[in-house]
Amino acid sequence: MSARAKSNEQCFSIDEWFVVALARTIRDREVVFHGFGSPCAQVAMHVARHSHARDMMLVEGATYSINPEPPFIPPTGNDLALEQGASYRMRFEEFFDAAIRGDVDRMFLSGGQIDRYGNTNVTAVGPLERPKVKLGGGGGGCNLAATIGHLSLWTTRHRSGRTLVEHCDFITDMGHRTPAGSRAELGFAGGGPEWLVTELGVFDFDDGGQARLRQLFPDVSVDTVRAATGFEVQVASDLRSVPLPSSAEIAALRAVDPLGVRRSEFAPEELRRTFSHGQSVGCAC
Amino acid sequence: MAFHLDTDKLVDLDRAVRSIEDGALVALGGGLSARLPMALVRELIRQGRSGLHVVGSAHSIDVDVLIATGTVTVCEESYVGFEQDLGLAPAYRRAAETGTIEVRESCCVTILTQLRAAEFGLPFLPVRGVKGSDIRRLHPEYREVVCPFTGETLVAVPPLRPDVALIHAPLGDRRGNLHLDQPYVLDERFAAASRNVIATVERVGSAEEVAAAGVTIPAHLVSAVAEVPYGAHPASCYPAYAYDRAHLGEYVRAATAGGSELAEYLDRYLTGQPTEEAYRKLVGADRLAALGQWSESIDAWKELFR
Repeated sequence: MSARAKSNEQCFSIDEWFVVALARTIRDREVVFHGFGSPCAQVAMHVARHSHARDMMLVEGATYSINPEPPFIPPTGNDLALEQGASYRMRFEEFFDAAIRGDVDRMFLSGGQIDRYGNTNVTAVGPLERPKVKLGGGGGGCNLAATIGHLSLWTTRHRSGRTLVEHCDFITDMGHRTPAGSRAELGFAGGGPEWLVTELGVFDFDDGGQARLRQLFPDVSVDTVRAATGFEVQVASDLRSVPLPSSAEIAALRAVDPLGVRRSEFAPEELRRTFSHGQSVGCAC
Repeated sequence: MAFHLDTDKLVDLDRAVRSIEDGALVALGGGLSARLPMALVRELIRQGRSGLHVVGSAHSIDVDVLIATGTVTVCEESYVGFEQDLGLAPAYRRAAETGTIEVRESCCVTILTQLRAAEFGLPFLPVRGVKGSDIRRLHPEYREVVCPFTGETLVAVPPLRPDVALIHAPLGDRRGNLHLDQPYVLDERFAAASRNVIATVERVGSAEEVAAAGVTIPAHLVSAVAEVPYGAHPASCYPAYAYDRAHLGEYVRAATAGGSELAEYLDRYLTGQPTEEAYRKLVGADRLAALGQWSESIDAWKELFR
């Protein structure tokens, strides 16, 4: 490896670190699925399968292909590139049936709004009758969120102040609790949100199902997180920095996403955040 | 859902679409930007159809352009948009925000369950989720049912029986046997649950050729077939061609601007082109051929998406 290539691998940008943080929410031997329009989650699943979770079962989000080795991640979720090298291609109903009966361990979900219980809104911002913004819609989420083992939530728009909100204007996919009740009260077997990864830090969920800040990116303060969050931020007593990505994880990520589709989820100013293994902040590359 | 037993269902596109009535409940095949029934969508617009109730899973330009042309009254898709890449669906968004369409956003699993109820000839089926989600507010037709065996309360959903399913396939025969490549998305379920299936195919082959390729949707479910090369453009129809990302970008820009820019796009590509042949000519043989070059090399494939 040339000195320059080596130095490139020691430098990484927020989108890369973020995707690795998402990848690390996956445990080995899990069956994992992402929704469409989710390049960060999609890339994260491939990174996990090529690093710490080699025996996971990866189900692509819109082709339902199992453990493919795509030559690149295309900008659309339903593309033949995402079926290359797959061991099997599920039918639509084959996947959804498995998810509803509880055979899928983890799914990635995001939202235009996310509340403290991990409820997500991908339907409409503002009043439903006359929305301020009609979002795309939930795909299969409002059933899948009930029965899939664990949910890894993510957003790349935390800093906007509009994403992590006190109340979702519309709950498309249920987190731990909605006005209709808790998951247990509604008879849902799935465990609900386990992690919420943002471009500022990583939350888990406490016993009451409320988000709790566990990790921060090193260029972010708790005050920044509080200022950007619409609900009161609980901070874990052992708050620490997000663990650094390994060179192997960064290499796997760059190999699977040469088009950089993951970057489309970030505001341009966020993408200027770069880091290095040596100093953790302020890399000049 | 009587079976369709005619031995020759090959018609031209105009005649295939003429049977679809204003106000019909229409299922759109394919998904996202793959194998969308775009030639059928364009012909619906050319013929000035109105009041359609569209239903499907996750869709993009097919639904958005039908809304942009005022063809749709009720939208019951689980998602309409252009993913992270090109963002929200501009016409869908505008129509929902100004109340010119009724949004009955649904969920892939619920739609699948409703189609199965129609396939099984049952008055309802239960779903396990939906409770706790505001999606329920968009569907006053849902009810609750208590399981007679476990006592569990579940959401009961009625059968979904579209008047017509519009499906584009890479290959079919005159009788209406269709060969599709995976992912089939909901096309098999739509075909079985709908009263009629109107299909376009890239190419009509012999019955033997379609049988050898594998019949995904059998002729007895299909009411009409038209041969339309590039009938999914600007969506993909592998193995023939990848999706036309630049064209989708052009549409999204025009639709976002609205007004005269959108009118210009619609006139240029839809109402201004009386036939699919004219549409293909306008898009350009070179451009269309380039979309077929994805298979030459990984670099060529990747290049299409830059």
